Amino acid sequence: MAKKITIDPITRIEGHLKIEVEIEDGKVKNAWSSGTMARGFEAMLTGKDPRDASYITSRFCGVCYSVHQLASARALDIAFGAKVPWGGNLIRNLVMGAEYIYDHLLHFYQLSALDYIDIMAIANYKGNDKELLAVRDKIVSLVKAKDTYPLTPRYEPDDFTVKDPDIVISAVNHYLKALNMHVKARNMGAIWGGRTPHYQNIVVGGVTSYPDLNQWARFRTMLDEQKKFIEEVYIQDVVAFGTGPLWKLATMGVGGGHYNYLACGDFPLDSEWKKLVFPAGVIVGLDPSNIKVETFDHKKITESVKNSWYKEKKPVHPYDGEQVFDLNKKEAYSFVKAPRYNGKAMEVGPLARMLVAKNPTLIDLVKKGAKPGAVARHAARAIETKLIVDACYEWLDQLLTEMTKPGFKIHDTAHWDPPETGIGAGFHEAPRGALGHWVKIKNKKIENYQAVVPSTWNASPRCENGVRGQYEESLIGVPVPDPENPINVVRVIRSFDPCLACAIHIIDPKTNEIRKFLIE
Amino acid sequence: MKEDILSDKLLNELEIYGVSRRDFLKYCATTAAILGISELEFTSGIAYALEKPTSGKPAVLWIEGQACAGCTIALTQVSYPPIASIILDKISVRYDHTIMAAAGHLAEKVYEDTVKQGGYILIVEGATPSADDRFHMGGGMPFRKRLEESARNSTAVLAVGACSAYGGIPRACPSKGIGVSEVLNKAKINKPVVNISTCPVHPDHLIGTILYVLVTGKVPELDSKGRPAMYFGEVSMHDNCRRRAHFDAGEFLKDWNDPKQKNWCLLEKGCKGPVSYIDCTVRRWNEGISFCLDCGGLCQACGEPVFYDKVTPLYTAESEISQKILAMREAGLLMKENS
Repeated sequence: MAKKITIDPITRIEGHLKIEVEIEDGKVKNAWSSGTMARGFEAMLTGKDPRDASYITSRFCGVCYSVHQLASARALDIAFGAKVPWGGNLIRNLVMGAEYIYDHLLHFYQLSALDYIDIMAIANYKGNDKELLAVRDKIVSLVKAKDTYPLTPRYEPDDFTVKDPDIVISAVNHYLKALNMHVKARNMGAIWGGRTPHYQNIVVGGVTSYPDLNQWARFRTMLDEQKKFIEEVYIQDVVAFGTGPLWKLATMGVGGGHYNYLACGDFPLDSEWKKLVFPAGVIVGLDPSNIKVETFDHKKITESVKNSWYKEKKPVHPYDGEQVFDLNKKEAYSFVKAPRYNGKAMEVGPLARMLVAKNPTLIDLVKKGAKPGAVARHAARAIETKLIVDACYEWLDQLLTEMTKPGFKIHDTAHWDPPETGIGAGFHEAPRGALGHWVKIKNKKIENYQAVVPSTWNASPRCENGVRGQYEESLIGVPVPDPENPINVVRVIRSFDPCLACAIHIIDPKTNEIRKFLIE
Repeated sequence: MKEDILSDKLLNELEIYGVSRRDFLKYCATTAAILGISELEFTSGIAYALEKPTSGKPAVLWIEGQACAGCTIALTQVSYPPIASIILDKISVRYDHTIMAAAGHLAEKVYEDTVKQGGYILIVEGATPSADDRFHMGGGMPFRKRLEESARNSTAVLAVGACSAYGGIPRACPSKGIGVSEVLNKAKINKPVVNISTCPVHPDHLIGTILYVLVTGKVPELDSKGRPAMYFGEVSMHDNCRRRAHFDAGEFLKDWNDPKQKNWCLLEKGCKGPVSYIDCTVRRWNEGISFCLDCGGLCQACGEPVFYDKVTPLYTAESEISQKILAMREAGLLMKENS
């Protein structure tokens, strides 16, 4: 007999997410992913000055802040006919590089780590490292004072939970250090971004922040410190966990899903955009021994609203999408729409990017037996953090050359005013995955605005054909021996780094009726 | 002997507040004698009452309505003191869905217990939809209901960020987001509300206000818009702007590529500094590294109730607010001697 459990809210993610799973014989048999909050940003943008879009859409999400600012500015660049000078692109790349570093560190340490370690094992630390003893004493003092919030309550540790006091205490020490490192990474981005969260310098046509040499030197010095932490702590931790205590979880491939991956590609290394840090491409039905990557074509994207709280409409390309809410729709269970590529549900994000790029480090891990799933997602995220750091050095070198040349430019001022009519699609590989913004301009105002964001791809509900979204599919077969303690479910979901405010820039009404579950 | 039943932690904390062990035991003995109960029984009873519910740390609930979590990230931006020391040493964060270990029913149980117990500081991020409750459900209930019930039993409410203070961007959206004060007024709930506006909240404003409440047990003095007077309401961004000399000289930035114009006034690009009474120009952001006006960006008055519906379009001087600012300039009201 199948047993249904609901986890609402899923915490340590951005936004409001509910996951329902049906468990049979200790495994997930079926799953539903629901976004439960909506604001209606896209609908609100209709009729506004198009330049507002980059500022407003940044507020889709304050965790992955400014990723929408960039995607939006790129859509507007095309619609306005603006050509961003290479100097402007270099600064856009650098501030987003800082955002990546902060975001990936935050995700691994603050948002995910607690799922894999038994923090209370710290009490058994017997070593004599002064720093670690201080961490032990801090946690023990919280326990003695009977006030361990927000570290407890928690799901109970299971067979996969790391309980070795030496490993756990070192991880918690790094958790505390990472807090400080991502503050510094955000400060690094603020050098040109103005402030965080939500940069102020990315606008249609380029950026507003004219750089000076002191800022350049500050950025580079701060980058050195990040590089050291990423290489000596973050990557080491991911390797130690992934190939050590979590190796079994990795080889079981828990959280695999559809094995379809999409990357829109991003981060030019040259002014002609010939070489990208993350190449674009699509993989359908991954065969790890023979990875076939198709060309990415955004025209093959459609969005279904069959199971979402929007007015019924056949699946359409985002240019023709709309945002009319229908909160009373019977079959609907989410504010997230269901994007499909050529009719197929896709995974986007670090794992998709590293597979599409055929990254040798990741491929090597897969060859050794790590199946693409929850653990591989953490590995891919660490690998690409290093790629971004390396790219930041390259961009800084180029910026130094550019900014000391006469006639250095950061903005296409000739195309600052909105055109009478225009159309543009802007893409960005955000930390959580492929992101697209589509804008139509009429009478110098926004006529239609749509965004398909990483968590819309990953968190989508079922489409017309009943195909599950990637979160839903990746939960099928996940071991849940104790329905009271569904720790593997949250491990899988958090491995995607969900960002629900992004996914539902629209609206989410949920009826109070208890949905009827179809037992298949 | 008597000291054994008191935890060192409690006694140490009392000493921080200038109460010695001896004084505390004397106080207990006197009180016990008056009440006619055994000294031992009473001493342990007081210790329990003081320590059990809060461990000396005030309970904090952080709830998130129609938000982007930018204010949560702003909270983690604090380095002095490090945010870990605030979260672990100074306050007892019972509920904050972005950082807490618990999920699902475990998280909801802590929330319910804390609300039942009362006496916590409530921090609210994000707007509350006024068009239809179903625009934001969580843990099986409308967010509006969660806000009302948790405000009712709180000691004070901090509305952080533009959305929570005045509705912010969601106010312009189909869900029609509104601020905390408006929700509580409608429900006739009378609690002190501190609006720490700006989009997102400034980390200094947030942590400074929390420290003020912890140290004094009171909310700080507020300006006419319900914001802490120590950060808001006194001088406009325009009057404190480092670009001010260029405004006075009639030099307005036209081209971001021209290093000569780099520090010129941004008013004609759509800057709303003259109506923005916030201390960003002197405090700056990210530990003083920069802020909106320093990166060539504009002030959009994100800490004022007019944000966002009255300040759009953002990047020209055509909004309702910009028109007002230009009229003020025409009337000579923005010049130094008059401002």
